[in-house]
Amino acid sequence: MNRKVMLVDDEAMIREAVEILFQSEGLDITTASGGEECLGLLKAGFRGVILMDVMMPRMDGWSTIRRIVEDELYEGNIIVMLTALEAPCAKMDGLQEYVTDYVTKPFDTNNLLDSIQYYLSLLQTEEDGP
Amino acid sequence: MTNTNIVMIGVSTGGPIVLKRLFGELPQLDAAFVIVLHIPPGMDYRIAKSLASVAAMPVALAEDGDYLRSGQIYLAPGGFHLKLEGNSRIILEEGPRVNFVQPSVDVAMKSLLKPLKRGRMIGVILTGMGRDGAEGIRHIKDLGGTTFAQDQESSAIYGMPQAAAETGAVDFVLPPEKIGRKLVELLSCRLGEQRLAPAVSH
Repeated sequence: MNRKVMLVDDEAMIREAVEILFQSEGLDITTASGGEECLGLLKAGFRGVILMDVMMPRMDGWSTIRRIVEDELYEGNIIVMLTALEAPCAKMDGLQEYVTDYVTKPFDTNNLLDSIQYYLSLLQTEEDGP
Repeated sequence: MTNTNIVMIGVSTGGPIVLKRLFGELPQLDAAFVIVLHIPPGMDYRIAKSLASVAAMPVALAEDGDYLRSGQIYLAPGGFHLKLEGNSRIILEEGPRVNFVQPSVDVAMKSLLKPLKRGRMIGVILTGMGRDGAEGIRHIKDLGGTTFAQDQESSAIYGMPQAAAETGAVDFVLPPEKIGRKLVELLSCRLGEQRLAPAVSH
């Protein structure tokens, strides 16, 4: 079963905490410290659920998603924004189709894990399968 | 022009989970459900299959030329705008993006016509970024339809539902479970006996 999750967050403490949490739930989690590293992992073949922080230095979450779409790296992934921001801004215009969910920090761990499991199951769905 | 009751649902970010919650609770109802979810091609069939696994009604990706059937759920495919011709025939068009998206909820809802026969029309705006669907919900209200928006607390993003509610054309602002109950109530009562509550409730 493909259980891959990528956390993109510039804060090392958050990456570490989420990594431990998800590993304890049996998820195969990889982390990226920013947009560039995320794009690199996608180019290297990562496919799964991407948890994307919005506020990051250099390339923020929205810019990273734009690059993912422009570079045709979206296929086979689901993107969930993980953010402390309540209200999205104009930067998200045109990205609606590519942002499947939007989770506001502090997040409920069980709800987030349930959502991730659901999105992983969506990614496993075959076009002509059952 | 059709006699079929039509429920058109517009939804975006946070949509897959809320649709599963909503349709997981709905019984078989006498209406054609048309869902316009902001999704790219390649994701649409996955959502349709997921919904089919929980819904009491059959789910299909909408196809160009299909005629709406009551008791069926149609999901607009990614990469096209969906329109209804004569409130009954599905038209899929490429065209430019509207409100930055394709499919656009406004395009779908604004293609609806005033029913000539006895057919109930219902518009629902669920969680999502942006304001797509606000013009559409006003259009449905102008046609005499019943309108819903998801409430803020249950929305992953209270963008589209807020924009819809701010038009003043929304009858009910509710969480998905209560929208579901109200849909059952509306689609179970006999036409001509309906009483529409004008107040927006929080």
